[in-house]
Amino acid sequence: MTNQWTPDHGASAERTRLAWRRTGLSATVVGLLAARPAFAPHAAAGFALVAAAAMAGWAGLIALAYRRSRGLRARPPRPGERTVAAYALITVGFAILGGLVVLL
Amino acid sequence: MSYATSGRSARAFSTSTVDNRPVMGGLRQWFAPEKTPRAGEPPDYRFSLANERTFLAWIRTGLALIAGGLACAQFLPPLPIVHLREVIAVALLVLGGLVALRAVDHWARTERAMRMGADLPASRFPAILAIVVALGALLLVVAVVLRAVV
Repeated sequence: MTNQWTPDHGASAERTRLAWRRTGLSATVVGLLAARPAFAPHAAAGFALVAAAAMAGWAGLIALAYRRSRGLRARPPRPGERTVAAYALITVGFAILGGLVVLL
Repeated sequence: MSYATSGRSARAFSTSTVDNRPVMGGLRQWFAPEKTPRAGEPPDYRFSLANERTFLAWIRTGLALIAGGLACAQFLPPLPIVHLREVIAVALLVLGGLVALRAVDHWARTERAMRMGADLPASRFPAILAIVVALGALLLVVAVVLRAVV
């Protein structure tokens, strides 16, 4: 069953790839907002650390989406597996970074 | 093609192998939903991809809430009520984090249900999220009106 290729007339693989890309763009906005306080004049050192973590998290999300896009190119597309959970956990990490921005 | 015609729901699966423990079973399922349980069979890939897009839509919702929290913290002036700005920001951030966690949990449970040919999991979460957001907006409207009147 898994090895049988059902024609993808609904372009579901492409739509999923584009959904990953949209999500990456949303993540870019969040990453920039989290990094922004570090660029204020006389910013506390903590903000620089938050910005570094935000950039690392952003790079991680983009890398995951890239890897997933490659998986989606296979026929039939490979399942999401760990990429999905890792993406959600990095998103939670951004929420925690946001908490640090508020508290610092 | 619908779930009902896939023929999997008619088959008898041994559900005793399903790891229903709330925390560890759930976490294992997050990272490898195709392995827990080993019973069942992989669904049509198009259903899995639809599930994945739903997950991504929820992640974007969570990211939007997080972005809202970050924007509140950075662009709102200090509000007349002490720490109100910080409270709004943290509430949005917590909500965004919860949405992300729930997104992956729901994705994994849906994936498992499709493998087992079971009904897709129902969820109260969208209703709760809608009510929480509406109540928050209402509170802010009341605060703004009170501020304008008093």
